[in-house]
Amino acid sequence: MAGVTSLRRDFGLAFRQLRREFRLSEYLVLIFALVLSVAAVTSVGFFANRVEGAMASQAATLLAADAIVSSPMPVSEAVLEQANAVNLDTADIVEFPSVVLTAEGDTSLVSVKAVAAKYPLRGELKLASELYGQERVASEAPLSGTVWIDPRLAGSLQVAVGDSLSLGDSEVEVAALLAFEPDASASVFQMAPRLMMNIKDLSSSGLLGDGSRARYQLLVAGSNDQVNSFTSWIKESNDPNLRLQTVEEGQPRVQSALVNANRFLGLAAAVAVLLSAAAVALAARQIAERDMNTGSLMRTFGASAHTVVRVVIIRLSIIALAATFIGSLIGYLAQFGLSALLGRWFATELPAATLTPLIGGFSCAVLALVGFCLPSVVRAVDTPVLQVLRRDLPMAKPSMVLAISSALAALGILLIWLTHDWRLGLLLLFGMLLVMLVLTVVSRVLVALSVRVKSSYLRRGLESLRRRPDSVSLQIAAFSVGLLAILLLTIVRNDVLSAWQQQVPDDAPNFFLVNIQPHEVDSMQTFLTARGVTGNSLYPMIRARLESINSTPVGEIEFSNSHSERFAQRDHNLSYLAAPRADNEITKGEWWQTETNETYFSIEEDFASDLNLAIGDQLQFRVADKVVKGEVKNLRKVEWESFAVNFFVVGTPFGLVDKPASFVSSVYVPSDQGSFVRELVSEFGGVTVLEIGTLLERVTGIIDRAALAVQYVFLFTLLAGVLVLWASVLASRRERFREAAILRTLGASRSYLASSATREFALIGFLSGLVASSVAAIIAWLVVERVMGLPYEFNPWLWLIGIGAGVVGVLVAGKLATKPVLNQLPIAVLQSQV
Amino acid sequence: MLIIDASSVCKRVPSGERELTILDKVDLQLAASEALAIVGPSGSGKSTLLGVLAGLDSATEGAVHLLDQPLHDLDEDGRAAVRAGAVGFVFQSFQLLPGLSALENVMLPLELANLPSAKARAQKQLAEVGLENRLNHLPSQLSGGEQQRVAVARAFVSIPKVLFADEPTGNLDRATGDKIVDLMFRLRAEHDTALVLVTHDQSLAGRCDRVLSMAEGRLS
Repeated sequence: MAGVTSLRRDFGLAFRQLRREFRLSEYLVLIFALVLSVAAVTSVGFFANRVEGAMASQAATLLAADAIVSSPMPVSEAVLEQANAVNLDTADIVEFPSVVLTAEGDTSLVSVKAVAAKYPLRGELKLASELYGQERVASEAPLSGTVWIDPRLAGSLQVAVGDSLSLGDSEVEVAALLAFEPDASASVFQMAPRLMMNIKDLSSSGLLGDGSRARYQLLVAGSNDQVNSFTSWIKESNDPNLRLQTVEEGQPRVQSALVNANRFLGLAAAVAVLLSAAAVALAARQIAERDMNTGSLMRTFGASAHTVVRVVIIRLSIIALAATFIGSLIGYLAQFGLSALLGRWFATELPAATLTPLIGGFSCAVLALVGFCLPSVVRAVDTPVLQVLRRDLPMAKPSMVLAISSALAALGILLIWLTHDWRLGLLLLFGMLLVMLVLTVVSRVLVALSVRVKSSYLRRGLESLRRRPDSVSLQIAAFSVGLLAILLLTIVRNDVLSAWQQQVPDDAPNFFLVNIQPHEVDSMQTFLTARGVTGNSLYPMIRARLESINSTPVGEIEFSNSHSERFAQRDHNLSYLAAPRADNEITKGEWWQTETNETYFSIEEDFASDLNLAIGDQLQFRVADKVVKGEVKNLRKVEWESFAVNFFVVGTPFGLVDKPASFVSSVYVPSDQGSFVRELVSEFGGVTVLEIGTLLERVTGIIDRAALAVQYVFLFTLLAGVLVLWASVLASRRERFREAAILRTLGASRSYLASSATREFALIGFLSGLVASSVAAIIAWLVVERVMGLPYEFNPWLWLIGIGAGVVGVLVAGKLATKPVLNQLPIAVLQSQV
Repeated sequence: MLIIDASSVCKRVPSGERELTILDKVDLQLAASEALAIVGPSGSGKSTLLGVLAGLDSATEGAVHLLDQPLHDLDEDGRAAVRAGAVGFVFQSFQLLPGLSALENVMLPLELANLPSAKARAQKQLAEVGLENRLNHLPSQLSGGEQQRVAVARAFVSIPKVLFADEPTGNLDRATGDKIVDLMFRLRAEHDTALVLVTHDQSLAGRCDRVLSMAEGRLS
């Protein structure tokens, strides 16, 4: 009973103290810092939660089937027979890129999906008759001679339902707009708009030849037993051309893209949490000092140490709860922004978020408090009670070892949890600490250098740097981290992209021609020459899968990393050449005799190093149902940025000439590109024309969106930088109050004090901007010169914008934090202990 | 009954390599309702003695009984439990909690001692010191004299058996200081509270039943 009474009393005391403390700056910093961490963590958390929800609830409809067998060539009869034998429902799909032509002569790249009548086996396909019109569920595949198109395509080509389009050799009628395609997310980054046709029209359209690039899929659906029996048969058949995808395996490509996106966003949130934690630690020192007075007074009046600690913990818990509530609310609102930026990656509407991320938010607030605040605050108990009589007694200082180790432990747990990977989490922890340490050291050196500057105008600002060099260095480091993140994502990203784009020569190819059938090679050459598009080679391209290296099956080889493993196992495009190409430099080994009757391979050097290949190695490829074996004869260096057609693996004509191939080329069309595409598409219906500029735009569009999303989360980081600044100004507040009071007593005006503060913060902002832009420039230089091997021109805007943003940001934050100092009457400061 | 019974109390603190003796074999008794003044120059050890007698600090040697409890045998929490509800304090620098209102500051000792009807008693006590219109003001919104009156109300609200006052007028002007002292002595008389007053104001000391002088850690 007594326990309950004292608990109630302690709650009462804690609430009463908090009610007013909420208005005190150090508590505001603490609360803002926690709110910011919670908001950063929950915005990412809520978004991830909605995405997971979408994935989980629609796993089967995301495949449009219970399982899918895919193959680079038509799925064999045996597979179909097996599916029929276990009474599974089946539907065939073929996907490939092509180009459509309107009656007006406009063209567009499309991603064709030819489907069988029963598609989709799971989930629903929705259609509409006009843009954003009433949706209806499709009952069967498009009728023969008709197609359904993505509204994007309808918009860009200005076509409506009822219009006709040229597709390959055939004319098709647009029967509906695709409103929802259940398995669209299978190709999250699918760049061309969808065109859906009936699979029966495929042969008459002339769109696919023997070596054409297409993905053939067999969708199956049935009971669990039926599906299991079928999938184990497929696994046992060990056919290297078949790939199986089941609902349990989900969609690896989508998932890994999402895991990476979430990790990236989690990382951005982690930086915000790290900086907020620094603000929490700074505020905790102020709070601890105040609590020491309160604690010793409470104990003077008979409170036990236990009571004092309990009141402190209750207060911190209330703060954690309040911060979680407000932070999660902000996080919840902020995730709408993330969903708007990234939601288009998903075919479906994202479901509403559940409340699970709140647990994460609360844990984050509690961890930050326990790790960064509790050690100092609980030490309040150890302050001698006699302090109430003698203020000169030393305050209890938290043990540095305890404070640092609890902070590191809290950060470690947070980072591991945010990145879902303990190794990455620890790496980040030490990486971030290293970055902070380096930035602090750099800032400290800059501060040491700048205090030597002789300038009568800056003297008063420099004075402040001289008096508090450590605290100022920390402020500069913290603020520059936030600025650096934003600069990297904006200016540096653009610089790197434009450095790359500038390297592309003016007459670099601007079109790729894909899926040229062997019988079209001569007429295509004639077509190109007639239009002045000369000097282009048509290269044969053969789909193949690597089966073994030196007789060891690829599946049994231990690659050094998963990237190499995936690389080895994916489908490859082989080509063949008799004589070496002028634009490929042989770096090891020798080219073969042009008339050789052996099978040799020439390997691109990065590909060779990824797969650990050397001259003399024996490679075995599977091309359709045939095997191609040969020796690695030489390694080549390829200029991929040239946009010329290139291959990782090139073989001798002897080994490959009789295999099913299509031809590809890249051409430079100097002018009137529209009519070039129209004429080409009408003459060669099956050839796909890819415009490089459009492709680049789409790729950069995706990068822009992803960068914008990360940038968005980094806004929290910048705000956290401002908080650190505010917290560190508060840490020196007592000193500032006293200085200001003495100066004003001696006759200094408010404007004198204000202008001193302006100069001080402008200097800090200048130095933060300088550090951030310089580090950003170094990173940009490293990426462009060292990684990409291109010349980098330093961008003066980087410094102008970085320093400008630094000065404005720090000035605003600093002026706000010091406002009470200027407004205080000197007598009040001198008479009491503020 | 003796309120305080201290014998051979020594307080030594390390100072560099030597030990500094602040209290040197101090003997002191305080009877119920008695008012005792300790005077002496700065640094003579007055405040340290007050701290040891009130159990805010521990003696290096000797025995201190406060309200019949052996402070020298108790730990910090034990000593706090002796003080709870039975000992009042008035400090030179007021020592009000800045985050709490006048009323809440006065309620604090009652709550910490788990005494009933804290709010009503605190209101009544604040009215007694003439601050019935300042109940919800924060310390920063009160004048020095008003702050010390809140401190006096806080000291008496639990009707303590003994009040420790450390230079209670040290931060106040003469006129305000006099009013505070009058108030303190009136309440002490009303509640029959014993008093240990540390001051270097001889006229203030003169209002007590007994005056002891302190010099270099010794009482005379």
